[in-house]
Amino acid sequence: MTPARMAKADFVTAVILIAVGAGALVESWRMPRLEHLSVNPYTVPGIVPGLLSGVLILLGAVLLARAVRQGGWRLDAASLSSAVGGRLVLMLLLTLGYAAGLVGRLPFWAATFLFVFLFVLLFEWRAGRPPAGHLKSAAIALVLAVAVAAGVSALFQHVFLVRLP
Amino acid sequence: MPEGLALFAQALVGFLTPAQLFNVLWATLLGISVGMLPGLTATLGIALMTTLTFKMAAGDAILILICMYVGAIYGGSRSAILLNIPGTPANAATTLDGHPLARSGRAGRAMGLATSGSVLGSVVGILMLATIAPVLADFALAFGAFEFFWLAVFGIVIAGHLTALRDPLKGWIAGFLGLLVAMIGQEGIHAYQRFSFGYLDLAGGVGLLPALIGAFGFAEVLMVMTDPSYQVVRGKVESVIPKLRELFRYWRSIIRSGLIGTLMGLIPGVGEDMGAWASYAAARRASKERDRFGKGSTEGLLAAEAGNNAAVPGAIIPVLTLAVPGSAPAAVLLAAMFIHGVRPGPLIMIEFPSFVYEVVAMVLLATLAILVLGLLLTKPLLLVLRVPRERLMPVIFVLCTIGAFAIASRTFDIWVMLLFGVLGYALRRMDYPMAPLVLGIVLGDILDKSLRRGLVLSDGDPTPFFTRPISLVLWLVTFITVLLSFGAIRRLMTRLLAGKRE
Repeated sequence: MTPARMAKADFVTAVILIAVGAGALVESWRMPRLEHLSVNPYTVPGIVPGLLSGVLILLGAVLLARAVRQGGWRLDAASLSSAVGGRLVLMLLLTLGYAAGLVGRLPFWAATFLFVFLFVLLFEWRAGRPPAGHLKSAAIALVLAVAVAAGVSALFQHVFLVRLP
Repeated sequence: MPEGLALFAQALVGFLTPAQLFNVLWATLLGISVGMLPGLTATLGIALMTTLTFKMAAGDAILILICMYVGAIYGGSRSAILLNIPGTPANAATTLDGHPLARSGRAGRAMGLATSGSVLGSVVGILMLATIAPVLADFALAFGAFEFFWLAVFGIVIAGHLTALRDPLKGWIAGFLGLLVAMIGQEGIHAYQRFSFGYLDLAGGVGLLPALIGAFGFAEVLMVMTDPSYQVVRGKVESVIPKLRELFRYWRSIIRSGLIGTLMGLIPGVGEDMGAWASYAAARRASKERDRFGKGSTEGLLAAEAGNNAAVPGAIIPVLTLAVPGSAPAAVLLAAMFIHGVRPGPLIMIEFPSFVYEVVAMVLLATLAILVLGLLLTKPLLLVLRVPRERLMPVIFVLCTIGAFAIASRTFDIWVMLLFGVLGYALRRMDYPMAPLVLGIVLGDILDKSLRRGLVLSDGDPTPFFTRPISLVLWLVTFITVLLSFGAIRRLMTRLLAGKRE
């Protein structure tokens, strides 16, 4: 990452950190003091999270000050969109689609088969490649998908005795 | 000491059964393969292996995990030498001299040197583990709430500083973020459910293993797949058997690196990466052939590999004696020990006196296994580096998903893995180190309970936190580390010291 892009990334991160810290601080303050149980006031649940939130806000503020000094506050739409590349979007679609979407809705072996097959097929696809190359990729994807779906399901279900999701 | 030797001999003999030796061999071989593959780290290897071994007997499972640990830290040297890409972050220093050797057609020799460096460094670390652990456990009995509080803060600040030397602020942010994550869920004194917002799954807290599988597995899968310059190995290598004469020549450097590596392992959360870098830097400073460093120096390669493998037993020392991990992989090992009912900590020499020596024997067996496998299986092992990432990464991700789920059969753990994966990827792209984050999640509970217990003991008076001898040392070191990270103060100190010398 170039220093200019890093400063922008730091600026955004610092704002998020301060917001998370502030949210956690408010929540810590609202935690019960348990007076009705007459507990020792130094053991109330909010003390440590409150302190940690304070430290996080402080560290976020130092990062913010540094990022502002380096010009990180000059955000533009181009710098935000260039942070996410095409490969990353495809990766996130495939992995999140599999683990948060398919697993639990389809039988585990079916979800895994679909995921591995599509993953290999899509990432090995090259524009302008002869059809024979694509066919070979598809065949490898199919074999790998069957092997992983069957192998991992059998291993966890029958050897480690884990109930599959 | 003689009693310790007897316990060690007993432990070693206990492991010399065909079944256990078979476990040592396959687990170390798998560890070497995991370490070799860029993107698969020792932490991920141990985390996934914990999910696969949690139904085994404690001794068998921990032996397998330690073999995976030692194997992975060593295995990373292969890709560092052949591809100039460290297989695990611990092998980054190995690339400096290992890859130039490979480029000049001496890849086999470099791999042989890396193997002997790793083995000898590990032996120094093992000796330190066997001698320091019992003494430190005894010393740790003097630790109370005040000391444990500062130990947690000290760990986060030092790990944050040393794992992000160019920008310690990011190391500290990662560490304190980890501590805050550890606050989620039921707290240990009044059983209040913090930050759970009424969700039952959040009340149970964020599991260390799903978070680690996310931060070290899913995040790495994303890193590898979006990296434009991923390579696979082509070509052949010659003999890897090292020359003994060469090793004798650099014995000072090897012992020094072993000691520095162990020390770096001992410091909470710092671990193998710094073990290698610090050993490498010290070797270069002391060397007569300083100008060869970075251009294929035998001494540099030996120092880096001795340093990172010595840090493995080094990082296990605080795991056993303080229940505080010396590195990220050691954090998983600690979690695995708890899962298997072993309670590491100051009482270990009283409750499980033989366990420390069993661990020593386990690390020794794993070290012997890397020597044998590393020298004999060079060519078959290279096949691992020929697998394209498009076919390997989906398999790893499937294992991450099922591994996160398998520990408690909770779908929530898959979401934790995904969240930490995406978060870990974003943080890593912005140069935040992962080790302090992990250390934060582990130390959060200790910090929380120790601060509140300490305040109750002193009736709200913070003085004992600053005046008790061990606390005093810990907070002073922490404070000075933070102060020295400010450029202005560091420059002022350098000027004062230079003025005094004149």
